[in-house]
Amino acid sequence: MYAEVGAGVLRAALALSLWGLGSSAYASWKRDGRALRSARWSSLAALALVLVACASMVAALLAHDFSIRYVALNNARETPAYFSAISLWAALEGSILLWTAVLACAVAFVAWRGTRTLPRLATTALAVLFAMLSFFLFLVVTPAADPFVPIDPVPPNGRGPNPLLQDHWLMGLHPPLLYLGYVLFSIPFAYALGSLILGEGGDRWIVATRRSALVAWALLGVGIVAGAWWSYAVLGWGGYWAWDPVENVALMPWLVATAYLHSVMVEEKRRMLRTWNLALVIGAFALTILGTFLTRSGVVNSVHSFTQSAIGPLLLGYLAAVLAFSVGLLLWRAPRLRDAGTIGAPLSREAVFLFQNVLFVAATLTVLLGTLYPLLVEAVSGDQVSIGAPYFDRVEVPIALALLFLMGIGPQLPWHGASRATLERQFAGPALVAAGGALAALLTGLRAPAAVIAYALVGFVCATVVQEVARGVRARRALHGEGRVTALVNLFRRSGRRYGGYVVHVGIAVVALGVATSQAATIHGEATLAPGGSTVIAGRQIVLERLRDVEEPQRRQVVADIRVGDVGLAPALTYYPNATQPIGSPGIGAGPDHDVYAILAAYDGRGRAWATIQLRVIPLVSWLWVGGAIVGLGALLAGLPAPRRT
Amino acid sequence: MRRAVIVASVLAVAVAAALVGLPRTETGEERVARIAAELRCPVCQGLSVNDSPSESARQMRSLIEQRAAEGRTDDEIRDEFRAAYGDWILLSPPASDPRGLVWLAPVVIVAAGALLVLSRIRRRADAVAAPTAEQLALLRERARLEEADS
Repeated sequence: MYAEVGAGVLRAALALSLWGLGSSAYASWKRDGRALRSARWSSLAALALVLVACASMVAALLAHDFSIRYVALNNARETPAYFSAISLWAALEGSILLWTAVLACAVAFVAWRGTRTLPRLATTALAVLFAMLSFFLFLVVTPAADPFVPIDPVPPNGRGPNPLLQDHWLMGLHPPLLYLGYVLFSIPFAYALGSLILGEGGDRWIVATRRSALVAWALLGVGIVAGAWWSYAVLGWGGYWAWDPVENVALMPWLVATAYLHSVMVEEKRRMLRTWNLALVIGAFALTILGTFLTRSGVVNSVHSFTQSAIGPLLLGYLAAVLAFSVGLLLWRAPRLRDAGTIGAPLSREAVFLFQNVLFVAATLTVLLGTLYPLLVEAVSGDQVSIGAPYFDRVEVPIALALLFLMGIGPQLPWHGASRATLERQFAGPALVAAGGALAALLTGLRAPAAVIAYALVGFVCATVVQEVARGVRARRALHGEGRVTALVNLFRRSGRRYGGYVVHVGIAVVALGVATSQAATIHGEATLAPGGSTVIAGRQIVLERLRDVEEPQRRQVVADIRVGDVGLAPALTYYPNATQPIGSPGIGAGPDHDVYAILAAYDGRGRAWATIQLRVIPLVSWLWVGGAIVGLGALLAGLPAPRRT
Repeated sequence: MRRAVIVASVLAVAVAAALVGLPRTETGEERVARIAAELRCPVCQGLSVNDSPSESARQMRSLIEQRAAEGRTDDEIRDEFRAAYGDWILLSPPASDPRGLVWLAPVVIVAAGALLVLSRIRRRADAVAAPTAEQLALLRERARLEEADS
């Protein structure tokens, strides 16, 4: 029943989406209000139908309807309800369905909200969005990604979700955040294409999509941090970032989008970089598709696996079509995109933004190269090579440090350029705090040059932010006679974009502190103990209290109850019926200054007479999650509409 | 005064970073960790032998420890793993290899980008700061005409 409903509504939604594409294109061409109204209603109807399809899939998962192949492969009778429901995005077909649903939301949003303020531009963007929606609806009704394909014979029980995906509640948060971020980039992209199609020379498309670009960027950023947290809490190796292709493809669009959010300010303020901003938004969008292609086609495991997946060639074709169409448009319209402004001086805000753009693009290209290089080598010579953390760390850490530096410099420099006196006044205080940061790194015993420089730069950035906020508060007090607190609140309410941006900078600094410290100063060790035995690992007294077996309907666990100092932890090895290897579930004692991270590495399989425990003491790792939340908060402040002036 | 503060602070940061970066004799444990960090754990997804908690990674670590105790050089230890698993076992291609060209890419990309930005700034600055001899001649001519006019 679920299958018939789901498959039926998706086909109807595809028809509506194609109708919407036709009518919005006609409305844009002829400025026809009736066609636009028709496109609006078809967007709403398509959204409703896609939501019904998602609901059918969730209902089928909750009801364990194993007549549907997707349910049979990704669910079992024993799967708890929460993990059944979120299995909507446990595999390819469901993920594409979720993607389609988010895209349908974006289409309806632009159809109803966007077309009210900028009718012609938004209607053209709407046609672009309908074209994308039609492609994704086409995917979910073809065998390549049809989530409702039946299975025959119907198995008595399903295989259950991928073990890694039913191990932590964060799985319910991390993938949807990433998809939201990915898909919302379609809105600025569609407006950019609309602007090119109509031959507009101005920045109306940027102003109209400022908020959706910011929201997409923030959701993607928070989604990446949530993914790092998930990886830390589930994968059980004590790290949070392994430069795995799956991580890299989420990072790349975020990097380009960060460059974009900054360089559009140059266009708004100085009427420059028009072609460049269009190229960035096209690049960010293309990278979201490339990411889906790389992770979903299996190509990252081997070049040869990609032709075996039906969806690989389709996604690659889509990516090629998107790139050919948008780059073609850009080249065709390039003569109309002349810049009006000029760069003042190397030490002006616009110049710093340009250098920042260079670094973000360099970071993206090197991550892209590192991710694709093994595939390129394999395709050319058949050899297998690896590119992993040693390459990425050596390349990206210097770029990240340079970006931290610019993050402190940029907001302190005026547009057009600064005099020497201004520079000295702006940077004397922050430079002193930077020296203090380096000293703090030495005193806490950090022994890596990158970490010492990171500490100095974090101090530098935070000092510049404090200085800027204090200056803003002083100005408001002098100008409006407000009290300190009122002035501070009004600063954020009236100039949220600017000061919210500074909060984001502080969040990034907090993340940088967490990364630098945890990378430079983690200590670890391991020991094999008998129940009741104790020893000292990584400077901590550790007691193995007991080893116990836990049977749950969907899985079996061997848990080591240990005591580290006075903290009780329970690292475990978890066995799922559909996996040959056990999943290591770490025991984490989180704290503001350090986490104690315990892994059950091995145990006596027969008599439970011994267990090998690995212990890591990871300083400031929780600052990463806090920093991610601060980034999200800052983006929220920057995105909130300013109160109307009376 | 302010300039002195800035110069002294930048120097202090540089000295601090240089101090911790001074070459020092590494302990045996550090050496094993360094070599293990460059080798890929064969049963994991992209984790290094140093990071992975898996059994095979543990065995590889103890093999490195054993070889180090026997007095082998870093290259000898690495080559042993390369012979067993192929180049795939190295987490980054050696710079000496033709495939090590991948190390050059970041330098080229950053340098090209920085040059592009600088050339744009310089071009504009030139256009403003240094008028050509021809332009100067025209300006003088015009100034002379206006003077004569008044």
